[in-house]
Amino acid sequence: MPSFFKRKKPKKSSDNHPSQSFDSSLTANLDIIKQKTGNSPDVITRTLKVGTNPEIKIALVYVDGIVDGQSINDFLIEAIMEKHDLGDLLIQQEAFEIMAEGVVTIGSVKPVRDWDELFSSLMSGETIVLIDGINGALSADTKGGEQRSIQEPSTQMSILGPQGGFTESIGTNTAMVRRIIKNPNLWVETMKIGKVTNTDVAIMYVNGIANDKIIEEMRKRLKRIDTDSILESGYIEQLIQDQTATTFPTTYQAERPDIVAGNLLEGRIAVFVDGTPFVLLAPAVFIQFFQSVDDYYTRFDIATFLRLLRTLILIISLFAPALYIAATTFHQEMIPTQLLIVIAAQREIVPFPAFVEALIMEVTFEILREAGVRLPKAVGSAVSIVGALVIGQAAVQAGIVSPAMVIIVAITAIASFATPAFSMGISIRLIRFGFMTAAATFGFYGIVLGGIMLVVHLCSLRSFGVPYMSPLAPLIPANMKDTVVRYPWWAFKERPRLIASDENLIRQGEDQQPAPPSDRGMVNSRTEKGDRNEP
Amino acid sequence: MEKAKISAYQLFVLIVLFEIGSALLVPLAIEAKQDAWLAILLGMTGGFFIFFMYHRLYLYYPDCLPTTYVQKIIGKFCGRILAFLYMIYFLYLAARVLRDFGEVLAVIAYPVTPITLNHAFLVLVVIYTVRKGIEVLARTGELFFVLIYLLAISGFILLLVSGLIDLNNLKPMLEEGLSPVIKVAFTQSLFFPFGEAVVFAMILPYLNNPKKAKIIGLSALGLSGINLAISMTVNIGVLGVSQVLRTQFPLLSTIQMIQLAEFLERLDIFFMLAVIVLGFFKISLFFYAAVIGTADLFHIKKPSQLAFPIGFVLLFLSIIIASNIMEHFREGLQIVPVYLHLPFQIILPLLLLIIAFFKNRKKRGQGKPST
Repeated sequence: MPSFFKRKKPKKSSDNHPSQSFDSSLTANLDIIKQKTGNSPDVITRTLKVGTNPEIKIALVYVDGIVDGQSINDFLIEAIMEKHDLGDLLIQQEAFEIMAEGVVTIGSVKPVRDWDELFSSLMSGETIVLIDGINGALSADTKGGEQRSIQEPSTQMSILGPQGGFTESIGTNTAMVRRIIKNPNLWVETMKIGKVTNTDVAIMYVNGIANDKIIEEMRKRLKRIDTDSILESGYIEQLIQDQTATTFPTTYQAERPDIVAGNLLEGRIAVFVDGTPFVLLAPAVFIQFFQSVDDYYTRFDIATFLRLLRTLILIISLFAPALYIAATTFHQEMIPTQLLIVIAAQREIVPFPAFVEALIMEVTFEILREAGVRLPKAVGSAVSIVGALVIGQAAVQAGIVSPAMVIIVAITAIASFATPAFSMGISIRLIRFGFMTAAATFGFYGIVLGGIMLVVHLCSLRSFGVPYMSPLAPLIPANMKDTVVRYPWWAFKERPRLIASDENLIRQGEDQQPAPPSDRGMVNSRTEKGDRNEP
Repeated sequence: MEKAKISAYQLFVLIVLFEIGSALLVPLAIEAKQDAWLAILLGMTGGFFIFFMYHRLYLYYPDCLPTTYVQKIIGKFCGRILAFLYMIYFLYLAARVLRDFGEVLAVIAYPVTPITLNHAFLVLVVIYTVRKGIEVLARTGELFFVLIYLLAISGFILLLVSGLIDLNNLKPMLEEGLSPVIKVAFTQSLFFPFGEAVVFAMILPYLNNPKKAKIIGLSALGLSGINLAISMTVNIGVLGVSQVLRTQFPLLSTIQMIQLAEFLERLDIFFMLAVIVLGFFKISLFFYAAVIGTADLFHIKKPSQLAFPIGFVLLFLSIIIASNIMEHFREGLQIVPVYLHLPFQIILPLLLLIIAFFKNRKKRGQGKPST
């Protein structure tokens, strides 16, 4: 046995040999590339001959589809072919420097040191330049290919504000944020995560506003990730969150550049992942998931009304079925008599206890919703018709559920759609079933105990060290201006204290409150004296 | 001792929730009849002095739990025994409060459900909370503080609007002179609820700003005293003295009187909400003190490990301390104040304070020449 392993070892190191250095022969290098990529037909090798005496072969290697063919033609092939004295120049050992400085007319060109680097740049859409007789390689940035154009976001809709959403390309996404925050302090750090997928991941923050400790923590957590693939930002989210035993999202997923920009300016850090339009924002707090971008674009009184409405929505979507169960099963006395008689008359023909009734309806609705997401668009409307009939009329007429229950389920369903953040909405949907069970076993007492437990759980969560319920608990009066109420913009003196850097908390100057001009004369100069009620 | 810090505001909130706790339920100081509010306020001033005692002890040893500094004051052996007795005292009080709430629930909503089951679920929530630590409890307190006050204010407004409060029920003031009021104040309302704040001796070391301990403690006791006095005044104003004397839970009866606009009636459920939340905090704080103190006493590194076993003791203790509700209340009114509250709240802290005072004076005396 030992001899078996001993023989194997040297062979293994010879396998690794190519990753150390390049061969000086072009054909040998191209063979290695072909062998490594398994002769895949989309890895294209283009060999050019330059000069006459001596004739030198130059090879361009790229992957079809992820490169920009136009720029390869214009700036690589043509540039090389048109340089007639190239052959003489390339005999020297600094051939690649000459190529990079004098021949290739593409924005970003860099020398490649080893095979690993060569393959990683080849696979991310760069073109590799190899020269016969010279031990080395050059990579030119020709990333391109088909991409989805910028469209409206599909999950985070808003009436006001910019309408562009992120796309699948990380470069486009970071650029969209850069277009909003035009400041050199907007810093981006990139890294590759995933041993097989080599996914580009970028963290973005505003230097000086973001808290250095949180940035460091973010770097540490991202570097810790050791997995084969990152296919979506949800992978990253689950690998970097503080606490795993929770249904609540502890990072915020944004699909709009204005949300990311607004959060960066509050001191948060954005994590862009290539291949997904969803950008992670951390640290996230609970109240954030009930705020929408519209709130900041409308006037404060309307925004405050909408936020209070969303608080009500939260309460309804969590408690409505549970309260109905508790009231009809345990606490009939808390329902006003008239209403009680109506409900009792309706429930008389229903063969199930309220809990089973509620469970049937809630589960039916969840199935309908799931089906609505999966079904092709053409069939989608059929489902909603069937759903309306099944949930609405047939179930009541068949005597399986009471009409009151239908109303409760409908209100709950609409309320849970109205939660601005999808990840929070789905978590509330899940917890609702827990409350229904608690209500069925212990009535109102069960609901209150469940509520206490939920609040305790929420208070115990942290997102990158920031308490999840801040600024409500721990109470930070200065940051209460942007929670369930929203103060007018001129009152937002400070960034969130627990999130932003301590040195840069003040976000606007004093006396930002607008006022009418003190001189009334500027309003309408053509009126007579005395017309304008001047003192 | 857990590695945690709470802010001054959080301590304030916890003290208020704790003090209002079960005192809101029972006819507090009703033996003083219509002067109950006065007896409560007098008891509150007495509570200030009890608070001063352990606040002074806290100032001598700001960084360690009472279970540790008791050993420093009266020696390792006696100190440990005393600390252990305190832990049992806290656990017993937690069980008493738990029983109070179990009985309330049985009376107002769950006459058929076994009381053990009701207790078990509350204890589970308490264990879950205590395992998360004092910081989480404090943050939870901040949120529920707002809820409780919203409920209290809306209840008060509803009572005012429906015109139920008849202040004539509070007359005549001091019908039999001041002495019965003083007697009630210093035999009942001093110990319950104000003296029970002795449990905060276990919480004070977590305060992030020790200088604020005094003002926070006094203002929180003051606020809760005033709130309790208001609640008792409203009870008597709505129900009259004789009915308050006869009812077990006067606030519940008061809230049941509300009938407004044909649908704002039978609001017992909001009373129940407040009662469960407040009870939860009172039990959690007693239980937390018992768990953290036991862990400190027996050098257990992770106090949260103790939450489950002690939680089960709490559950069974709450069932076996009395065979029925009358026995439970009788013990609470006649035996506990004299044999438990008096020594643990006043006599023992006072003795400790005196010993600590002389010890620390000696130390300071030794320290002086060198400076």
